[in-house]
Amino acid sequence: MKSTGRYILVLLVLGIGQVRADELVVIVNSAAAGMSKEQIADVYLGRSNDLTPIDQAASSPIYVEFYKKATGRDLAQVKAIWSRIIFTGRGLPPKQMVDSAAVKKAVAANPKAVGYIEKSAVDASIKVALTLD
Amino acid sequence: MTEKRGHSSRSIVATSALALALAIKAHAGQTVDQYLSFSEFGTLGVVHSDYDRADFTGNVVQPTGAGFGGSWSFTPDSDLGVQANLTLTDRLTGVVQVLSRENASGNFSPSLEWGNLKYDFTTEFSVRIGRILLPTFQLADVQNVGYALPWVRIPLEFNYADSTEHSDGIELLYQMKTGPISQLLQAQVGYSDENSPGADFGTVRAGSELLSDTLQYGNVSGELVYQHYEHTGYLQIRQDLFGMGLTYDPGAYFVMTACNYADNSIFGGAVAGYIGAGVRFGNVTPYGFYAITHATSEGTSDLAHLGNEHTVAAGLRWDFVSNFDVKLQIERVTLDSVDDTAAFADIQAGARPGDKAHIVSLTMDFVF
Repeated sequence: MKSTGRYILVLLVLGIGQVRADELVVIVNSAAAGMSKEQIADVYLGRSNDLTPIDQAASSPIYVEFYKKATGRDLAQVKAIWSRIIFTGRGLPPKQMVDSAAVKKAVAANPKAVGYIEKSAVDASIKVALTLD
Repeated sequence: MTEKRGHSSRSIVATSALALALAIKAHAGQTVDQYLSFSEFGTLGVVHSDYDRADFTGNVVQPTGAGFGGSWSFTPDSDLGVQANLTLTDRLTGVVQVLSRENASGNFSPSLEWGNLKYDFTTEFSVRIGRILLPTFQLADVQNVGYALPWVRIPLEFNYADSTEHSDGIELLYQMKTGPISQLLQAQVGYSDENSPGADFGTVRAGSELLSDTLQYGNVSGELVYQHYEHTGYLQIRQDLFGMGLTYDPGAYFVMTACNYADNSIFGGAVAGYIGAGVRFGNVTPYGFYAITHATSEGTSDLAHLGNEHTVAAGLRWDFVSNFDVKLQIERVTLDSVDDTAAFADIQAGARPGDKAHIVSLTMDFVF
């Protein structure tokens, strides 16, 4: 009984550690309001033009993780969705930045911009709109 | 003759546009990149048909395919598109898309598929002037972009009444949000190149109007469309089409269904529809669909069974590397009529209603 309790405790600690390491935050300009997960999916899948989404590099792990968590879709699905928007002349996919520092800079400079970074990269230049886990 | 000349001059314009686009791309520097970007798509495909009394085609306009002319063909699905995206200001954008795919004349001459300027008056409301592909059916506006389609091609039966190649005119776009439902309303007025089902008179230029509403609610999306076209010249032809579609796509799987009813003054009425689904296992997606088209009235042509046909299909999509997919699709097409069926061209005298064709398609799609 005692050892089972300890085992669960270890699992919990490991579990929490796992979640913390993976935590991703959606960031907006300090002047902007918060966002719901549905709004974020709409913006990043081209269903809404209200805000300007900013992407990480398509080759980065955070890019894959973000789309999985925010939209429930993998890269091929996201690409197919955007192909329909691009090749019907309705828009272009979000601009890709080299790293989280560049994303923060772009979001800080534009009141309508939305981005996503690791929680550890958050600073006062931007505002956290939502934590994705 | 006039038509041939018209077509070749269009081809020259399109070829020039393609050459210009590639030349600009070759010289594009940092400053140009801000205003101009390029996107490409294409499909390399091969089709095998065991039915030698007609040619299986990839869309309604193609005159040749696999079967009668030879059991193997690469013409039904293979294509290449190059698109220049112009960002002139924050509100003014443009698009020029040149496509090479087997056309109604049976060759791959590049044609201008999209060429328009769009002005965003607000984040919700935009106006486009120029050439577009009409969103007459679910995915019809990306019918040439294999990567954006879950199957090798839009089910041919469902696509049968969509005779429009593209449309030149003015379009209003309104993207709105009502609570959890987002909607894209499109209204277009212009002139389209029409290839009526069963028509041997080639392409006619007809006045056309279209209204469409694409709704999205979470993982559910729906489409409603009404299209009318009317040619008042030597050939008095008019068509009204109503269509609706529904898709449920939570990510791990998808279900799609759509139907339409077209009433053509010469060829009569027809209903068409399909239902399909797929399950995503990582980067592999097995799928299947059933599609049918059925004439409901004769019109003045006296063809009571025009286009009648149904298909059962199973396939597999494999997203093997970023930007590319491979699809293998097996179909059994039943000709319920031999009056210009939806999937076939060049139907031979020996063809009989009830004949079955077994089609195997292998394609590789890409987007950049």
